[in-house]
Amino acid sequence: MTQLTNNQRPKLSVVVIAYNNELYIDEALESLYHQTLKDIEVVVVNDFSTDNTKELIDEYVKDKPNFKAIHLQENSGGCSVPRNTGIENSTGEYVMFLDGDDWYTVDACEKMVEAIERTGSDFVGGQVIRTNNYEIWYHKQIYSKEIINTNIREFSTLFYDSLSVNKIYQRSFLDKNNLRFPEGIHYEDIVFTGKAYFLADAISFIPEPIYYWRVVENAEDKSITNRRFEFDNFRNRIVAHRMFDEFLRGKGDGRYQNHKNNKFLRHDLKLYVNDYDEFDEEYKEQFHQLIHEYLHEVMDEYAFINLPERERIIYYLLYIDDREAFQDYISYLNGEETNQFRIKFEGGEYYFEASVSKPNSNKFLSISSLNIEAELTDIRIDSNMLSFTPYLSVPGINPQEVHFEWLLKNRQTGHALRSKNKQTVKLLLLNMEAGNYYLSLHMHHQGNIHRNVIKKQQLENFANEEVENSRFKLRLFVNHKNTFGLKVLPKKTKDKVKLFILKRKKQKKSQNLFDKEKISQLYSKLPLKSNWILFESHMGKQYSDSPRAIYEELVKSGRNYKYIWSLENPDQVDIPGPAIKVKRNSMKHFYYLVRSKFWVDNQGLAHLAPKRKDQVYLQTWHGTPLKKMGFDQKKRPDRNEIAKLKRQTDAWDYFVSPNAYSTKIFRRAFRYHGEILETGYPRNDLLLNTDENYSIEMKKRFDIPVDKKLILFAPTFRDWDENSYQKAISDIHVLSQKINEETVILLRLHYLLSSKISQTDLPKNVINLSEHEDIQDLYKISDILITDYSSVMFDFAILQRPIILYCYDLEQYQSRRGMYLELEQEGPGPLCTNLDEVIYYISNPAALESYKKQYEKFHEVFSSLEDGAATRRVINKVFDY
Amino acid sequence: MENKKVVFVLNEYNGHGGAQRVAAILSEEFIKDGHEVSILSINESKDEDSYFTNEIPVTVLHEDNYRAGLPKELSSNLKAFRLNTVMKEVIRRKQLEKRRKDVKKYFEQFGDSDVFVIVVQVWGMQWLEEVLYKKNIHIIGQSHESYAAGRFTKRYKNILKYYRQVSKFLLLTQKDEESFQNEGFQNTGMIYNPTPFRDQVDPEKLFSNKVLVSSGRLVEGKGFDVLIEAISLIKEELGEWKLHIYGDGPERESLENLIKILELEDHVFLKGQTNNIEESLKKSSIFVLTSKAEGLPMSLIEAHSCGLPCISTDCAPGIREIIIDYKTGYITPVDDAHLISRHILRLIQNPDVFNQFSKEAFQSSLKFDRSVIKKQWYELFEEVGGYKNDTINQ
Repeated sequence: MTQLTNNQRPKLSVVVIAYNNELYIDEALESLYHQTLKDIEVVVVNDFSTDNTKELIDEYVKDKPNFKAIHLQENSGGCSVPRNTGIENSTGEYVMFLDGDDWYTVDACEKMVEAIERTGSDFVGGQVIRTNNYEIWYHKQIYSKEIINTNIREFSTLFYDSLSVNKIYQRSFLDKNNLRFPEGIHYEDIVFTGKAYFLADAISFIPEPIYYWRVVENAEDKSITNRRFEFDNFRNRIVAHRMFDEFLRGKGDGRYQNHKNNKFLRHDLKLYVNDYDEFDEEYKEQFHQLIHEYLHEVMDEYAFINLPERERIIYYLLYIDDREAFQDYISYLNGEETNQFRIKFEGGEYYFEASVSKPNSNKFLSISSLNIEAELTDIRIDSNMLSFTPYLSVPGINPQEVHFEWLLKNRQTGHALRSKNKQTVKLLLLNMEAGNYYLSLHMHHQGNIHRNVIKKQQLENFANEEVENSRFKLRLFVNHKNTFGLKVLPKKTKDKVKLFILKRKKQKKSQNLFDKEKISQLYSKLPLKSNWILFESHMGKQYSDSPRAIYEELVKSGRNYKYIWSLENPDQVDIPGPAIKVKRNSMKHFYYLVRSKFWVDNQGLAHLAPKRKDQVYLQTWHGTPLKKMGFDQKKRPDRNEIAKLKRQTDAWDYFVSPNAYSTKIFRRAFRYHGEILETGYPRNDLLLNTDENYSIEMKKRFDIPVDKKLILFAPTFRDWDENSYQKAISDIHVLSQKINEETVILLRLHYLLSSKISQTDLPKNVINLSEHEDIQDLYKISDILITDYSSVMFDFAILQRPIILYCYDLEQYQSRRGMYLELEQEGPGPLCTNLDEVIYYISNPAALESYKKQYEKFHEVFSSLEDGAATRRVINKVFDY
Repeated sequence: MENKKVVFVLNEYNGHGGAQRVAAILSEEFIKDGHEVSILSINESKDEDSYFTNEIPVTVLHEDNYRAGLPKELSSNLKAFRLNTVMKEVIRRKQLEKRRKDVKKYFEQFGDSDVFVIVVQVWGMQWLEEVLYKKNIHIIGQSHESYAAGRFTKRYKNILKYYRQVSKFLLLTQKDEESFQNEGFQNTGMIYNPTPFRDQVDPEKLFSNKVLVSSGRLVEGKGFDVLIEAISLIKEELGEWKLHIYGDGPERESLENLIKILELEDHVFLKGQTNNIEESLKKSSIFVLTSKAEGLPMSLIEAHSCGLPCISTDCAPGIREIIIDYKTGYITPVDDAHLISRHILRLIQNPDVFNQFSKEAFQSSLKFDRSVIKKQWYELFEEVGGYKNDTINQ
């Protein structure tokens, strides 16, 4: 990263606010100090803390020129004043916020700055992780994938993420709209973030962990937002919502009010309703009054129509301010008796009756299933009878209208015992059949039957009781689903067999006989073939690279091996020589995989089959590392990635490295400790061992006049941007017009993109060779290479021909991937960030020549081992005869 | 107190896991108070010593060393001609039936007197079905795994199946107890594991050791690679401080390699298995645990019991019942090498904080003291034996 001079405006300001955070403030600040992005200014605003926070902040910012402390002279009572103070006293192009008890992930700032620069959004959100469960805040709904330049008017779920701290803002966006935190109220985020959403033209979200939200459970003094039992807290929330509502109306965005209401009902109000039982009378009185008022301000009853049953009914009763019915409904939910019988059945539906009935009210008060309370006491069993005394109630329903029936039914045989006793239920255990009996309660009400299976929770006292008669043992039991039952165990062999057959009949049929897994197991038992070699290149997509070079050399030397190539499309690939082609992932492939003594591959195949003890895996790899890999990535790979990597590295016996620089990286990035063959790349032998005739032949094959000058244009694949090839196409159109008539451009795109273009879309002096099997052939005939972050530069350098680096998105690439080289200083040629510079170097060979020294150094470090004999060195080391 | 009969049921009485150690400590305490302890072990390891004293009678259920596999479905395997599997399953069922009868016979030796059966590991419960219905046999089933870690295992299924009807289902943490209550269990209880030793070391002495310590089997789930990674981030600031890792296991070689690759040979040492944990702790300063999932990690309890502050990943609900964050140690997200390294620095660069944490750590380990835990067990016996009507207060 480039170093900045002191008077330059920092890229990012982070405003940290602190109030009595003496425990955590250090960690908050350290997490900023250790950010991978260094161009940060930190402003810590201390809101007149009464503990040691002030001293800790002063101590920490001392000696750190980019950290600054501001101490407010009186406590502001909220987050708004300190955050606004921070905004005013900072200068960065972008602004982020951090609370004094939370912390950022190590690359939070870098990721956020990169995202806002790339998207140009007014602000960008990143993932928040709460430390009570380590779940990502609104993960599924918002933060599971990258969302670029959306707007709350099309994506109303955003109302739910009203946090301000997990976002990066353009300062110009805040200033232009005079957007600040509202002072003097709590729940400032509802207003600030709400306004921001409607003021922004474009907002983006990245699926990257940014912010750790420390959740301290059982804290002695809960933070403001958690003190829900004080009425002021509720009032404050309504104040904030009213402020936001007013803004919406003023801005002419009133038509989005319904989305905002939906979030208010499903989230904010729900919190308070859940706590309703714990409020005192005074609170309840004020609560009913205020919520009734507020609901009528911004919505009508149809705002509730699609909510879950419980909320729909509760809110409707609050809305019509029917406090008796509301209290009854709360009792009903708690399984307690209601003051009036309010559950009615009408028109085929149950509903909860309000005190004053309106024609449309039933649809807001409908109930899908009844809450039947049953408790069983005094459970007794002897060899003749199971008895118990039930306590039954159905809150809200007139007991005169219902009657009950008990049923004890054998799940295996269907045999059932019934009783309609009201007081003590007595089930006579007659004609019992072996199996498990379960108890259920059927309630009959106005022609409806409501069935309830009895669970263990409904028994007042459960004891492990066992009785027996001449044929059976009878046991009270509880199954794995916590259902209460009676197990009837046969004593006689005849009954046992009967039960066994009955149970068997219930089980499902199984799948067919010969499954893939079984055959695989069979294969693995066959002996290993010591003269079989399995080759693969780029997961079977090509016949190319070092595996190809090794194969061809082995064939040429006349060794007595059987060669197998695994390919994705075996029919479309020609392989010279005796090789057998198999389709990757077929049973045949698997057969060769488990029986070949040797595996030769350049990416990874260890996950396809368990490696056997005597198998030898030669990993040639596919290039000198340029972008960071494995453990060298900025963020530690996660558990799955590590496990995947380890499976591969554990399987490698030999690893081919092109130079000492790479060896060191491979060891560290892959945590690989096996043998490394530092031989140079077998694939590059071709470049050194073929002469001019080969080039002429190749040119003929591609229909290129022999005397033309050739420029190879080989940009890499940007996997975060599916359309990056369009940039390459448009660049090539520009280039094609700027080069002289003696020059032809060879286009080489990533193989995943090669199918996306056709020759007819391209100018005449551009030839698309993206589909040509082996890129080494293209190096051989090219005079200049234009590339960006690709390891092709290392191979091409062997030829000692000029290279131009065209990196229009260098910073983005750096931030997303990270690179081992500083291309500007260590690259093999000029680093161009736009096409004009590229054209300049193409047409000025002298300017290109001035990079000779840098070029030679590059060659010395990266390709001096290459001498045309790498393949033989590898073969001598690995293959026995 | 009258003399009580206690039976521990273990998978393998002479294994060397945490379960056996805890059972050994409890049995020692029970015997000291004059109670009769015996062991019913499903299997045994060949030629291994056990943590238990010789005076405890041990009965091994499968003396022929038969080991039961996991239950399989018969019909589907039969149709697929997996005769081997079918054969094994038939034998397993036959064996289970037979051994259940053996268990029933085993308990006949106690006549009608009350017996308190402590099933230490979930696996063992399936053999007790026949005695479940005997009035004098009071079964206490334990689970040493956290609800979250065990949620998708066979053990969890076995708990649902076999733990519904036992007198007490004992969990190791409050969080786990809550989780199982939410699954409809009403017979839950909670008692912590006791610490085998508890002895305060002068904080200044501990600090002067300048040793970070960790222990556990060297397997991937213990996250020692993350710990070494964390150390490499602060290599420059470590000075004389070192990391000692006790334990052995399959990952040893790969950890050795990692130490070499990160050039930490002067700071990180794999010390192998230790027979004397207490001594190794007392020669250290700070305990660091970087596991990915745990139950109630004994190692943290032991560390606190010697006054070592702990830094631990939040790998189990029990962590927060041992470590008080920012008071007796620090808790970090799993795998967060950066935060772990900063917390390490926080302690090694601030002797005052270290001293304070060390004192608090020892204090807070009181709830794991043998005498405290023992008392809770006696209260539990009273409760499940029906001598007392009120439930114990934790």
